[in-house]
Amino acid sequence: MNSRAKIFLIASALSILSASGGLIFASVDDAQSFALEAAAPYVKEGFQVREDYWGGDLGSGEKKAVRQQLFKGNEYWFWMGTEVERAKISVHIYDSEGKLAEQPDGWEKGHFAAAHIIPKATGSYFIIVAVEESPEERTHWALVYGFR
Amino acid sequence: MRSFINFCRLGVCISVGLTTAARAAQAPARHVDERIDVKNLKLSTTVQDVVVPLPGEIFTALNKLGSVNWGEHVRTDKGGNFMERPRVALLLGTVIADGFIAVQAQNAPAVKDIGQRVLKLSQQIGVGNSITPHAKAIIEAADKARWENVRLELDRTQKSVQDAMNELHDEKLSQLVSLGGWLRGTEVLTAVVTKRFSPEGAELLHQPDLLVHFQTQLQQMPADKAEFKAPIIHEISEALGQVRPMIEVSGPAKITQESVKKINDITTRLDFGIVTRE
Repeated sequence: MNSRAKIFLIASALSILSASGGLIFASVDDAQSFALEAAAPYVKEGFQVREDYWGGDLGSGEKKAVRQQLFKGNEYWFWMGTEVERAKISVHIYDSEGKLAEQPDGWEKGHFAAAHIIPKATGSYFIIVAVEESPEERTHWALVYGFR
Repeated sequence: MRSFINFCRLGVCISVGLTTAARAAQAPARHVDERIDVKNLKLSTTVQDVVVPLPGEIFTALNKLGSVNWGEHVRTDKGGNFMERPRVALLLGTVIADGFIAVQAQNAPAVKDIGQRVLKLSQQIGVGNSITPHAKAIIEAADKARWENVRLELDRTQKSVQDAMNELHDEKLSQLVSLGGWLRGTEVLTAVVTKRFSPEGAELLHQPDLLVHFQTQLQQMPADKAEFKAPIIHEISEALGQVRPMIEVSGPAKITQESVKKINDITTRLDFGIVTRE
């Protein structure tokens, strides 16, 4: 079997398994895989996605803040993922004063959420991740980001 | 197993990633709060420590302010041979940052040299096994002038080094790797901005939370372990205290040309202390 066929088979198997509720793969690493999936199309647009990621688990309605140093002149996307199929997750970006600072083209869908910022100033920002709804008691999440 | 997982991730990215943008386009309008209460947020326990940017992230922003002669900042000196692991960790951080500089300069011999140096230093602190494939990939990509791949591998190298240190419960060493990289990145940033001053360039130094983050980590270094009593660690801690008021500007105040020069002097002195055996 050639390598393309192997990738296709493995990808299909993982997609089916994750669609079945994510019961088999339930870890922050899996959430990271989904965050990276969300990031994949943006790499073609020149975004460098960092290897590092941030993650954990949250109950429905819970939020977490990640403080991030951003640089004026760069453009950033933050991608959040979860392995829980029917969870609703969100990610938003606020400046150091607590004012919403993101571009309007962020999005949320299924396993994924994303937020986009072109910082008006260099400094600290708050990336707020949330599990809005979930059928699970705790929902794994992971956040990755890219810049260009 | 690790490579199998990465292989699977790649597969998933290929199969699903292409459809993600389409999904995003169909996503419904979302509710978002226009403001959050930062004061209460800071007081709560839900705030993750500040994320330390890669040197390449700062250099990308710097590049947009005008062309930079990265070649003059490339360094391939071997640096001192240290036995104390905290000193090796600091040096490793600066060498990885040197790798990002060499990528900016597209200097293949320097990148290859740095790749070997990173491997040697990683071996010295017992995490060489996880770095070998990255060092090999860095050298191969530099040979083919695939600079994006080199940049990616440097990022992976830093993460692998730090993950391996964390697995060995050497989190303090992992923090020193980040600090070493940040100091070297700041030294080069201030050198570039000093040479051609602009308020926009100086603004890239506005990183007060990062400074507090590093200061806190240095204060929490294990005082009972002799290797963490290296004078350079104390020197860095003191110097960060001097830098902080210069970059902690707010409102209409700007970081001045004089401050940029002073920070360059400080970080150059610290970098010399990191790479040189006193």
